[in-house]
Amino acid sequence: MKKVQFSSYFTQYFFVAPQLAIILIFLYLPIVQTFTDAFTTQDAFGFGRYFSGFDNFIFSMSDATYLRAFKFTIIFICVITFFSCSIGLLLAVQANNVIHGKSYYKTLLIWPYAIAPAVVGVTANYFFSERLGILYSFFHNIWGFNWYDNIYDAYIYVFIAATWKQISANFIFFLAGLQTIQKSIIEASMIDCKSNFRRFWTITFPLLMPTTFFLIIINITYAFFDTLGIIDTTTIGAPSGETKTLVFKAYIDGFRGLDIGSAGAQSIIMMLIVLVITVFQFRFIEGRIHYN
Amino acid sequence: MKKTFQALIALVTLVFLSFPSFAAPIELHYWHGHTGKLESIINEIANRWNAKQDESKLIPTSKGSYEDILAAFIAAYRAGEHPHMVQVYDAGAAIMVAQVKNGVVYPFEDMAAEHGVNFNKDDYIPGIRNFYADSDGKMIGIPFNSSTCLMYANMDILEAAGVTEIPKTYEEFEGIAQQIKDAGYIPMLQSHSPWIWTENFFSRHNLLMTDGNNGYDAVPTTTLFADTPEFITHWEKVKEWKDKGWYDYKGRAWGDNQAPFIAGEAAFWLGSAASFSGMKGVVPNFSVNHIPYWSSMTGGKAYPTFIGGAANWILSGKSDEEYSALMKLAEYMTTPEIQLFYHNMSGYAAVTYSATELANAIGFYNASPYHQAVGEQLSLTGSTIPGGYRAGNWPQIREVIYENVHKMLSGEISVEQGWKNTDAGAAKLLAQFAKTL
Repeated sequence: MKKVQFSSYFTQYFFVAPQLAIILIFLYLPIVQTFTDAFTTQDAFGFGRYFSGFDNFIFSMSDATYLRAFKFTIIFICVITFFSCSIGLLLAVQANNVIHGKSYYKTLLIWPYAIAPAVVGVTANYFFSERLGILYSFFHNIWGFNWYDNIYDAYIYVFIAATWKQISANFIFFLAGLQTIQKSIIEASMIDCKSNFRRFWTITFPLLMPTTFFLIIINITYAFFDTLGIIDTTTIGAPSGETKTLVFKAYIDGFRGLDIGSAGAQSIIMMLIVLVITVFQFRFIEGRIHYN
Repeated sequence: MKKTFQALIALVTLVFLSFPSFAAPIELHYWHGHTGKLESIINEIANRWNAKQDESKLIPTSKGSYEDILAAFIAAYRAGEHPHMVQVYDAGAAIMVAQVKNGVVYPFEDMAAEHGVNFNKDDYIPGIRNFYADSDGKMIGIPFNSSTCLMYANMDILEAAGVTEIPKTYEEFEGIAQQIKDAGYIPMLQSHSPWIWTENFFSRHNLLMTDGNNGYDAVPTTTLFADTPEFITHWEKVKEWKDKGWYDYKGRAWGDNQAPFIAGEAAFWLGSAASFSGMKGVVPNFSVNHIPYWSSMTGGKAYPTFIGGAANWILSGKSDEEYSALMKLAEYMTTPEIQLFYHNMSGYAAVTYSATELANAIGFYNASPYHQAVGEQLSLTGSTIPGGYRAGNWPQIREVIYENVHKMLSGEISVEQGWKNTDAGAAKLLAQFAKTL
């Protein structure tokens, strides 16, 4: 076997340097900055800085609104991951079976993927506004929907907005996953089993597990971090702070409340949570998935 | 060929030399928190200033809401790229005054002493001047857009409901609310619970809102919401009105509460003096009135409300030429002509006596009586409390107020419990701010 080697160290570092610079500036520096902020007390302008140990952590975590945001975030993640994955899967399976105009369906279903979360929020705003909203009046006529007042109605509002945005991302990946399944397996199963439904759950779905596993992680991080823009443009945490996610709270405390230390501490807590979730998934769930 | 070239060079040099050397005007960057119609008014003032002189050029930039602008300018300051002048609102006044000692803010009075030409401190209306001054009365911010909360009334609805007199007190409001409701309209709406029915409730009834004399004598450690029986009574009344259908709560957003009034579905709306510009020509027949008060709580006397809106703050780290140009601009912005233009277009109060005198001299208030309400209400006298409050982390405390008000109005917790929780939340935030001083 021929060994490929660079003539000097310089050349390899030269090629890697741009990548490293980007990672250093946009990833590691902010992390270091977050850590220093989390362990210092300072005013908004950065004056009066002093090391304050875990003060910021204690201040954030002893706050009742923080615990409430924590609870909401967990619910939020579960609901969004479940619904956006299952609807995405359903649409992908349907679109995969369509014979005429397949590419039109696909294109239309992929479109929302390109929309920024804040734009999704603003759009949802029109549907759920008391004066203009189609969905508002539709739900209002059924059970007196009013997200200004009712916590669960506010939940429904942000759930719909955040789920809708993510469905197309899941759709693309599931569709790609379906197309990698070998035709011969599907054909063989068709001989053995007549029921479409059973065939799907016993053959197709297990073969989609790697995709599903990947999407679950993607959706959890989406619900955790990327929904900031949606919350900020829909309920802004209404009715009384119940729809604040952890990221939204850190943003509000840091950029509206100008309490940088507390926002830094909250960011670190979130980082730990995501770390734990990811480690858990890779250790306990991935072992049960068969990659071909 | 060579000769032609030489001649060309000579010609070009001559052309350049024959022009007088123009110094580029000094660019003055101004970040403000006005959008929509109010932003176009700021742009108009900038155009007038830029057309009037060519020493400096004012470049206004809208940064969104008051909250957005504070965050944007602090980030810019930390990056060393802050503008010359920034507009910061009432709730941020404590933060800005506290930053004088760190050299972030260049006090207006210092700039006036070093670069001022026509500066006359006594021309500024004291209530407005002192709100953005330090505890010794030294002017830190430049008063610019001063508003306060006012009550807008839809005269067509009142006529339809058979109401002949606009209520001056909440007692009078209670007397007519059912009449309005029976006519099929929402009697009352209110757009900013922390600002109108909290902060300004205290000033309107001559009550202290925090310890340390509203933060003027000492750094405040607690708010006095639950400890003020008048305040609790007011909110119990509000809850009662909501249950009776005399007051409708549309959540925390300003616009959601204003919308029914604009649509002609509500008789009274409590909002800002600056809402005038957006309402004019949209709502057919409305009047602008003082905010009501409980006459049983003040012995029938009306006290002034706090100044709302914002001030302009000069930031440090710029050159002497820039400050001298800024000072001329600041003087221009408080000339009676510009003040009156701004007052007329936006509904904000005129901040100087000379502007008010000009308005009276030309009979401005006869032609537009509603512009008078803001000035009248702010210049009421007799208060024994300071004309403002100096409490840090106030933007966050307003969040706590919003959340608890919602819980009280939805009946999740009692009014008294709600304000106890608010006091507790506010005390934590005040302590957090005190740590950074």
